Amino acid sequence: MSNQTLDNKVYRPLPEGVSINLIPAGISARIIAYLIDFAIRAIIMIACGFALSAFGKSGEGILLLLYFISSWGYYIYFEAKYGQTYGKKKLNLRVIQDNGLPARLNQIILRNLLRPADAFPFGYALGIIVMAANKEFKRIGDWAAGTLVVYQESTIIHKAAPNTNIAITPPSFNLSTPEQQAILAFAERSHQLSPARQAELANILAKPLGVSGEEASLKLKEIANYYAGQTI
Amino acid sequence: MKQNQFVRLNNERWQWFEDLCQHQEQTFPSDFPQQYRRICGELAIARSRHYSPALVDKLNKLVQLGQACLYQNEGISFKQLIVQFKQTFPQALYENRYYIWAALIAFWGLAFIAFSWVIADPEAVYHFLDVASVRNLEEMYDPSGSVQSVARLADSDLLMFGVYIYNNIGIAFQMFAGGALFCIGALLPLLFNSFYFGAVSAHIVNVGYTDPFFSFVITHGSFELTAIIIAGAAGCKLGYKLLNPGKFSRAYALKKAGESVLPLIVGAFLMLVLAAFIEAFWSSRDMPSIIKYIVGSIGWFYVLQRLYKGSRYGT
Repeated sequence: MSNQTLDNKVYRPLPEGVSINLIPAGISARIIAYLIDFAIRAIIMIACGFALSAFGKSGEGILLLLYFISSWGYYIYFEAKYGQTYGKKKLNLRVIQDNGLPARLNQIILRNLLRPADAFPFGYALGIIVMAANKEFKRIGDWAAGTLVVYQESTIIHKAAPNTNIAITPPSFNLSTPEQQAILAFAERSHQLSPARQAELANILAKPLGVSGEEASLKLKEIANYYAGQTI
Repeated sequence: MKQNQFVRLNNERWQWFEDLCQHQEQTFPSDFPQQYRRICGELAIARSRHYSPALVDKLNKLVQLGQACLYQNEGISFKQLIVQFKQTFPQALYENRYYIWAALIAFWGLAFIAFSWVIADPEAVYHFLDVASVRNLEEMYDPSGSVQSVARLADSDLLMFGVYIYNNIGIAFQMFAGGALFCIGALLPLLFNSFYFGAVSAHIVNVGYTDPFFSFVITHGSFELTAIIIAGAAGCKLGYKLLNPGKFSRAYALKKAGESVLPLIVGAFLMLVLAAFIEAFWSSRDMPSIIKYIVGSIGWFYVLQRLYKGSRYGT
């Protein structure tokens, strides 16, 4: 299980004796998250600029102070407190340690203080190159701090694949474990797919299953029912 | 055991566990770690029995949730920052003493070279600065000029405070980050600033505006210059470890270096905040220079003593 090459999961062994898989967030998701955060900071700064312009020089001083806080403190505060900034939250991302635990304050500070290195020479060009060069999409700050940006686990839904309305049919042939898993996965994901798409996918197997095109999808689900073990 | 039976037997407990993790306000039962480990075990079982990917995924997420609950983050506290400054910072000074010493020698050495050069050859200041900025500088510290003799207004102080915070700490952070780029981003600004500082001081001596200049810079200079040097040293360590990771992999060497220099940059940050306060609200006060020299000397003594104790004994 630990050496799948097709998907983008990374496996992290835990002291509890199992490994969990994490899905590192790719470049585009992180750029979008950054742009959202950037827009929020810009709006806040513009609003403060208008509000403080009435206070002359002291207003200017406070504005600079706020600019400093927003450019360095925004990420540190939100990532340390919630594990994600607003932009990351919108894209369902989260900053964690390499080992999958919530990131510590020290690491958050470090990864954010190193932003200028990633931003070198402009527009996070170096950071993007570094991210593209490794499977976990770490930028320089992530390497130094030992952090990782991953997709946050969404609400946990596990639809029991086998539907009681569907009959149980043992297949007339033997399948290997990955093949059985593929059929189970098809049945479990079928509620996310339109009937037309289900038929399209299942039709590929219509011939070996010995059924006509339309019945293939149902047949596959019946077989999945058998593998899942509807009856004890 | 077939998958469905496995799910039927455990589903209720999984649901309970998930609710528990997601609504953290309720108190955790004392057997939470056992429950967590049990789910870890079930994930391993589900994998080894080749249950469906969706089920493995669900258990994987449950384990992640439980893990995040069990090993909680310490959160943000101001107290932690102070503890860092008082304890971890000196330890980090000791740990990274060679980098600190090298940066100190580089900074003050070059500043001294530039200073002697400009003293010996007053025209040399134009190698570093253009004519306009030299004139600007002279105006700023002209004892008979308007800038020094009229006490600055309070609102101007606040403006300067903002400028110092934004500018100086920004530079320190940028040097720190720039250091990760094979030291270049830290060394260049550090050496440029040391040359600049040496040349400017020499020029001020040459034109004879010594008193307004030195009484202005002495108080905050101790914290500011030292903090900039520390930030540069911290950045250099990151870059150096990337170039020469020793017996570790580059990734691990960088991570280790990051951990060890972080207190340095936090300490430098606090020093620079203090320096900005002094520079904005104290250095510009109109008072006899002798008081400023005394206070400034105390500041230098304190900083150097802490630096010495930190880099020698880690206290």
